[in-house]
Amino acid sequence: MARALDIEWHGAVRYADGLALQDRAVAQRIAGDRYDRVLLLEHPAVVTLGRSTDPANLRLTRDEMRDKGIDVFEVGRGGDVTYHAPGQLVGYPVLDLDGLGRRDVHDHLRRIEAALIDAVESFGIPCRRVEGRTGVFVDRARSADPGGPDRKIASIGVGVRKWVTFHGFALNVSIDLAGFDAIVPCGLGDVEMTSVGRELEREGRTVAGGAAALDEIVREATGAALSRWLGPGAPALG
Amino acid sequence: MSIEVELPSLGESVFEGTVSRWLVAEGEWVEVDQPLVEVTTDKVDAEIPASHAGVVEAIVAAEGDVIEVGAVLVRLDPDGKPTTAPAAAEPAAVPPPVATSAPDPAPSATPVARRVAEEASIDLREVEGTGSAGRVTKEDVLRHQTATPMEPPPVMPPPPVAPARTPAPPRSASQFGYELQPGDRVIPMTPMRRIISEHMVFSKRTSPHVGTVAEVDLSRVVRLRNEHKRSFQEGYGKPLTFLPFIVNATVRALREYPALNASVIDDAIVEKQDIHLGVATETEKGLVVPVVRHADRLSLAGTAMAIDDLATRARTKKLSADDLKGGTFTVSNPGRQGNLYGFAIINQPQAGILRMGEIAKRAVVRTLDGEDAIVIRTMMYMALSYDHRAVDGAPANAFLYRIRELLEAGDFDL
Repeated sequence: MARALDIEWHGAVRYADGLALQDRAVAQRIAGDRYDRVLLLEHPAVVTLGRSTDPANLRLTRDEMRDKGIDVFEVGRGGDVTYHAPGQLVGYPVLDLDGLGRRDVHDHLRRIEAALIDAVESFGIPCRRVEGRTGVFVDRARSADPGGPDRKIASIGVGVRKWVTFHGFALNVSIDLAGFDAIVPCGLGDVEMTSVGRELEREGRTVAGGAAALDEIVREATGAALSRWLGPGAPALG
Repeated sequence: MSIEVELPSLGESVFEGTVSRWLVAEGEWVEVDQPLVEVTTDKVDAEIPASHAGVVEAIVAAEGDVIEVGAVLVRLDPDGKPTTAPAAAEPAAVPPPVATSAPDPAPSATPVARRVAEEASIDLREVEGTGSAGRVTKEDVLRHQTATPMEPPPVMPPPPVAPARTPAPPRSASQFGYELQPGDRVIPMTPMRRIISEHMVFSKRTSPHVGTVAEVDLSRVVRLRNEHKRSFQEGYGKPLTFLPFIVNATVRALREYPALNASVIDDAIVEKQDIHLGVATETEKGLVVPVVRHADRLSLAGTAMAIDDLATRARTKKLSADDLKGGTFTVSNPGRQGNLYGFAIINQPQAGILRMGEIAKRAVVRTLDGEDAIVIRTMMYMALSYDHRAVDGAPANAFLYRIRELLEAGDFDL
């Protein structure tokens, strides 16, 4: 019987340390030293800049961000600005797709989406994919608040090295959404960032125990959903 | 002779990719499996490794090019001589090339040695090679590692906490060591089944459930129902069932016992002004709990019509998200024969759920004209599950008893 996926919670990890942790995990997986695992963590407030990011597009200067306790990290590769902060569940699945018999990077991506959709929907928040966009969005039509722009609840971006996956997802749970507004230019378009907490609020629901409890139950639900969709013997995608 | 490295298949649905970044330069020596280039396909970055060792003869696909699976990315010459240093090495520190016919770059090392060195943060240039032509082997690296004091390890995040706290709850028999047997049927959970499953686990873990059962004499309700059955059917076009009586009595009792119409929220108990009653309904796809809004404002007939409407729409899959939201208490009516009584799981974030047992004639003792007598009455057990975080036994029992009183009094406005 195949070994179940390890779901590990690493707590708060600085972004740079998280990358190092992930690199090591990928190297270990390629070398066959470790089984498939998902690293779950959250980052202290950090803005990551891609190579193509023009800092002039940011609403705050780097100094202003540092004053606010937000790290700035240049990832040295293409890609958009990302923002991470406590209350956002970050997951790095490090899986050997070859070993799982699933040599298909898009299949992997869709499985992460499916897991996140399941996890978020288990809190009564309807979700969906949006054609042509990455990430998981609230299904506005079925939600308490159908108006306004598309609401993005999770970002996804994955990489693969010798069929071993890295990067993953960032799911907004209790994160202070004002952080996105303060940093990311509104010019990024017609998408609004949302979170599990924000969507529950829209419906007038709260969770006993506050943000910490919400983070924990969402983490557990997400871990369970990831085990189901990414682990060995996971069902075929519809 | 040169070797072409093509864009490999990255999955059934992947037909092309965009070259996003070259990790090697022309003239550079690359080892087998060394990442050559990053290719972005829809949402996925893939690193394409070298299929052979050799010198990068020509980079065929430029950054930004969109190329199809199978198209050539780069040509490698396994017999070529490097004309540039590996990108990773600092040019100033590159020692002079070793005088040998081997086309290895400096420092010369086996791939395994490189990996071991990288993981241990050892600079290969400091390792003395004992392999052929001074090549650094894995053993060399390990020997170097034990011979030199370790650098302080990089700052690592704390190790994962004990599995008891974070991992997913056990979800499949495989986690208990069950091996599939021939003939076993594996039925993947539908999304709805999973939602139910997760909700049940969540509720049981969140609320300490306490159960209490009351026996209720429905004889007066039966009489009332028999009196109005026909006129109700004629007037409203729907049958009059027992359920609206139970719901109506429950709602009236909730008004008197607000502790049961409550939620635990952030270390506080919130008693709700409105009473929105969930009615658990079995459908083809599974259990749903549509909500009768402001159930306390409805007459018995209004309650009956609302329940009928929700049940019909549940079965025909016409419920909207709003129909399922905002319940403050739930009544469950499994309604099958043989269901004497049973305890339901609380529908979070509510404080309690009432589950109806089978309605049946039973012999009971009543005092008639001062004499004890055994009589036949229509009886039902009803079981209340309540959240002991919010409610203690005495008020919960009083609430249940109040429902019983209202039903036995048969005082309904029809």
